[in-house]
Amino acid sequence: MEDRHSVQALAFQMGETLLQNGAEISRVQETMERVARAYHVESFNAYVLTNAIFVNGRDGDEPPRTLLKPLNDSGIHLGRICAVNQLSREIAQGQHTVEEAFAALDDIRALPYLPLWKGTLACAVGSAAFSFLFGGGGWDALAAFFCGLALEPYLRLAEKHRLSKFLTHLSSSALAALLGSALFLLGLGTNLDKIIIGSIIRLVPGVALTTSIRDFFNRDFLSGTIRMIDALLTGGCIAIGVGVVIRLMSLLTGGVLL
Amino acid sequence: MMNLSLLLNWLLQTLVAFVSTIAFSVIFHAPRRESLCVGVTGGAGWLMYLVCTHLGCGVAAASFCATLALAFLARLFAILRKTPVTVYMICGIFPLVPGAGIYYTGYYFFTHDNALCLEKGLETIKIAVAMALGIGIVLSLPWQLFVLRRRK
Repeated sequence: MEDRHSVQALAFQMGETLLQNGAEISRVQETMERVARAYHVESFNAYVLTNAIFVNGRDGDEPPRTLLKPLNDSGIHLGRICAVNQLSREIAQGQHTVEEAFAALDDIRALPYLPLWKGTLACAVGSAAFSFLFGGGGWDALAAFFCGLALEPYLRLAEKHRLSKFLTHLSSSALAALLGSALFLLGLGTNLDKIIIGSIIRLVPGVALTTSIRDFFNRDFLSGTIRMIDALLTGGCIAIGVGVVIRLMSLLTGGVLL
Repeated sequence: MMNLSLLLNWLLQTLVAFVSTIAFSVIFHAPRRESLCVGVTGGAGWLMYLVCTHLGCGVAAASFCATLALAFLARLFAILRKTPVTVYMICGIFPLVPGAGIYYTGYYFFTHDNALCLEKGLETIKIAVAMALGIGIVLSLPWQLFVLRRRK
């Protein structure tokens, strides 16, 4: 869509940015309709699913046209959602021409992802904190910290090489369990379960679960179902990844593990 | 009754939940100016969970109450700070997501302890349903409720 004067394209791209970064369906739909209304586009219809957007409408005197695009989520970026939200607010107040809004949207879409070291640190701190919250001691938290340090770089690597979601979850939870039990066997930490629970929290489908619930309560049943199945599959993959590793380790070590 | 060490333990746990929620807000690229509110949301949810389990609630009931508190705060912050509720919700919910349930389900599944596996699996689903109810109820409340609260 190279057309930078079309309200329809602007609304479409704003919706796309919202959806790809983890917003719920009703927000995407409302934002797109609000933008269209702010520019007095008379006929504008949008249908949004978790993995696609359909828009039909006409700009001024041009013939009506339909835009549609299948999407896959590119990772959560709440900062972009906030920024698009702010932009749509400003558009509704009439502060931007269409061209200005496009420029602002380009800036939003260029908002950077975290540098690797920051993400890794956050993941490690999060893992340690959750290990503690779920009843682990200080040493368990330390072990989970190290697992978190390894997990985030692995996730980035998997994303870079476009490993499928299914394999990513399976292998990264196995990695977390493997590292956790290795540290445990080396004598760091006293509760293997708390170490691993802390380390896999980064992988747990919290976002999919929350968004799916919100879609259901907004009566977007189809999108809610898509996300719910996503959450269930992810949870299942994690359980299997961890379970297999624990089983293997207990076979190898003759049942020393918990 | 309440004693000092219990309260101190709660305080410590709430602080840790605060930190962990902020760690997740960093991972999900939430704007930095929202960090404090995100942390408060997550901490409050976990504190509610602790209090409920102390009073003798089951895991699912405690998760429900904690989600209510968390979602309420999330909506309040969303209106006060003109930010999508998603930001507070997604990060704050993480302490309550049944990661432990997933772990134990997988663990018993592969150690052939079918009864325990089923029990943990069902418990995980119950927690998820309890959280769904909590989120759904608070997010369906009319927004006027929250604005009234602000004017007072």
